[in-house]
Amino acid sequence: MTAQTIPAADQAVAPPVIELANAARWYGNVVAVNDVSFSLGAGVTGLLGPNGAGKTTLLHMLAGFLAPSAGTVHVLGRSPHRDPSVYRQIGLVPERESAYAFLTGYEYVRFNARLQGMRNADSAARAAIERVGLEDAADRAIGTYSKGMRQRAKVAGALVHDPQVLLLDEPFNGMDPRQRLSMMDLLGEMAAAGRTILFSSHILEEVERIGTEILVLVSGRLAASGDFRAIRALMTDRPHSITIRSSDDRRLATTLMADPAVFAVELKENALSVQTAHLSAFRRIIAVAGRTAGVRLMEVVPADESLESVFDYLVRR
Amino acid sequence: MTGPLVAFPEIVRLTLRQQLGRRRTLLLVLLAALPPLLALVYRAFGEVDVSGFTDSVFEPVSLTIVLPLATVLFGTGAFGAENDEGTILYLLAKPISRWVIVAAKAFAAVALSLVLTVASVLVAGAIEVVPAGSDGVSATEAYVGAMVVGSLCYVTLFLTLSLFTRRALVLGIGYSLVWEGALSSLLPGIANLSVRQYALGAADSFYQLHTEAARLSPTTALTLSAILIVVALALATWRLMRFELSGSTD
Amino acid sequence: MSAGNRLTASSPAGSIYDLGYRHYEGKRHGRWYAAWSLYVESLRGVWGFGRPMSAKAAPFILAGLYSFFAFLQLAFSSTLASEISSGQQVQLFAYDSYFTTFSLLLVLFCVAQAPEVVCRDQRYQVLSLYFTRAIGRADYALARVASLSTALFLALIVPMIALFVGDVLMKPDTISAIGDELPKALPAIPADLLIAASMASISLALSSYSPRRAYSAIGLIAYFLLMEAVPAIIYAVANHGGWSSADKLVLLTPITSLTGATDWFFGKALTSDYPATLGPAAYVLACLVSVGVFSAILLFRYRRIAA
Repeated sequence: MTAQTIPAADQAVAPPVIELANAARWYGNVVAVNDVSFSLGAGVTGLLGPNGAGKTTLLHMLAGFLAPSAGTVHVLGRSPHRDPSVYRQIGLVPERESAYAFLTGYEYVRFNARLQGMRNADSAARAAIERVGLEDAADRAIGTYSKGMRQRAKVAGALVHDPQVLLLDEPFNGMDPRQRLSMMDLLGEMAAAGRTILFSSHILEEVERIGTEILVLVSGRLAASGDFRAIRALMTDRPHSITIRSSDDRRLATTLMADPAVFAVELKENALSVQTAHLSAFRRIIAVAGRTAGVRLMEVVPADESLESVFDYLVRR
Repeated sequence: MTGPLVAFPEIVRLTLRQQLGRRRTLLLVLLAALPPLLALVYRAFGEVDVSGFTDSVFEPVSLTIVLPLATVLFGTGAFGAENDEGTILYLLAKPISRWVIVAAKAFAAVALSLVLTVASVLVAGAIEVVPAGSDGVSATEAYVGAMVVGSLCYVTLFLTLSLFTRRALVLGIGYSLVWEGALSSLLPGIANLSVRQYALGAADSFYQLHTEAARLSPTTALTLSAILIVVALALATWRLMRFELSGSTD
Repeated sequence: MSAGNRLTASSPAGSIYDLGYRHYEGKRHGRWYAAWSLYVESLRGVWGFGRPMSAKAAPFILAGLYSFFAFLQLAFSSTLASEISSGQQVQLFAYDSYFTTFSLLLVLFCVAQAPEVVCRDQRYQVLSLYFTRAIGRADYALARVASLSTALFLALIVPMIALFVGDVLMKPDTISAIGDELPKALPAIPADLLIAASMASISLALSSYSPRRAYSAIGLIAYFLLMEAVPAIIYAVANHGGWSSADKLVLLTPITSLTGATDWFFGKALTSDYPATLGPAAYVLACLVSVGVFSAILLFRYRRIAA
């Protein structure tokens, strides 16, 4: 596989690496995944959702361990279910299952490399170990590792064969902040090299940091997909909230109230909180308002553009 | 897809390491050491008695206790840890044919079981019956043959069973004790479905056994064993192909 | 209960409010209640209650099979009765030989369920939750062994009751039949108590040494099978070689010594394969000693286990 950076604009041209069409999965009366459709190309995508939303079920379907009850699941153009050959191109990091405790980190990664049919299993294993930062502990049994180290060993085992697709279920569980940052950098590098990476999480700061593409699953349904800022902009039935610090909040408040783009203004301790339904219109008028009121604007911050508020809104809908 | 020649030895190596955990091996070695110890007791009392030893030790202890217990442990243990802890994912998420995985696991478990049970019979035989002459040699050969056939059959049977139920161990023990033991004496037809009878049938070709013993001719026994092994491995492969994970906590 | 703004503590800088959570200041049950609760929960667990349906399969099937033949005899009591009265010889199951015939099923019961009783807590390392409460280490062990003993006793006594009912129904006059049969059946009670205590203490003592059910089960069945077979073999060889006192070895066997003990309770001569140089009383003694020894092993295990 040649490593290329595929710019977002060209994604429409290259065939999607992962493609779901109306995929659903149910167990008796319980619908775990309900009519989900999306397609992914190169890059990192975060799969978000509350517990019980169906994230693990979805990942298992992508990994070929569950057949969809309806719809289709395609990875690299074919269904991964009951097709072991597809695993050459997929790396899977499951959530719960721990790696063999009696093997050393290096042996475990090399085992994975050999089972993937790699000729240079030894050097590939060493390289993978280095990439996740486990060189120091590579010759100790995995049973002696801390939780974060075990996670990293699992990741090393999943990427040793340089797969096109990497599926990770809550990969940052148990990692300390520094480990998390380096793991995020690693995933970012791989994505930049043209890999398709999908990871599930419910720690929003992680997702915000790595990539902007998200898929939000709520009760088995896909509630939103795409760039979370774009999603926020689409949430027009909820007013945007902006926090402003200025030299004279009260004067600014009165001027802003006069403008039709603004529908609520709240005076807080040291700031002004403005609610507007039309963010773009507001952007145009705020500077003018400041000049009209003769007030100096020191800080204008969108208060709820965070992923957290987007998520919150989508989950409660 | 990774070729079987690469994947097979790798999985065998892993399984061997998994199974040879310290405490477990020690206890099984103690178990296998029992027939030789009994042989020593016999010699201590000056007995070199081929038919007596065969009837009292080889059959009731080696065949009826050591073989089933060793094979149940190794057979259910082949996929045991992976079943319990879910690490079976790591084997299945690889571009390897399912039959290779099953074959490798079975091979490792059979090998372990064979080494243990055959060594046990050989040492016991060497101590007790071989000094009695060619009769003793035949008896030992017979029971080595029984251990071989028994290991192959029991291990593949229990391995497959462990892929279908969580209580494979208890079922295996129950099968061996109740089905093959108690019921078999009540209902003669059961001999056709009893691994112990296959083993005895195979042994019979070497040495004429005295007890209630072999009800199947050697040919029948070996044919039925071969059928059992093939069917068991095929079922295990089929099961792995249809393996599905639940959605776990999420 | 209203939270109000009751203060529990206050200083100029801050206050803590009483949210109205109730403190429990009443009487607390002590150690006996805790032990009793554990005993009941454990007994239910042996039979699979409080667990998924599949957990009920093994105990009920095995105990059911054990009782099956007694119920079979009960069901056919009218047919059998007419055969007896017409003078035919009919082979019946009797109180004193029932356990001897079907003991294998109860051994399997122990092998299946004893690991369930003691392995789970060790596997998930929750023992510290028990030992830091009113219940102590010894109480824990005793409650567990009492529960398995009770379960085994129930499994043992049900077929006895079935046989009793069957035997009474086979006779024409019910009241005198009860008077006849009761003395024959009553020894079953202390005999079954001894059997239950003995098998339970052996099973739990051995099972408690491994947190994994598989190894406990294997170890247990190996013990039962080998400790029956090996003494017999050594006895046969030794006897043949002139060492007649080797028959004392029978006292080491778990099941044969129990069948010998039941002979003593029923006042019969010894029916075992071993020679009668040891009277049945010796068997009873051996069984009582084994209950003591294995209970001690169990207590020792739980005193020393890291929690």
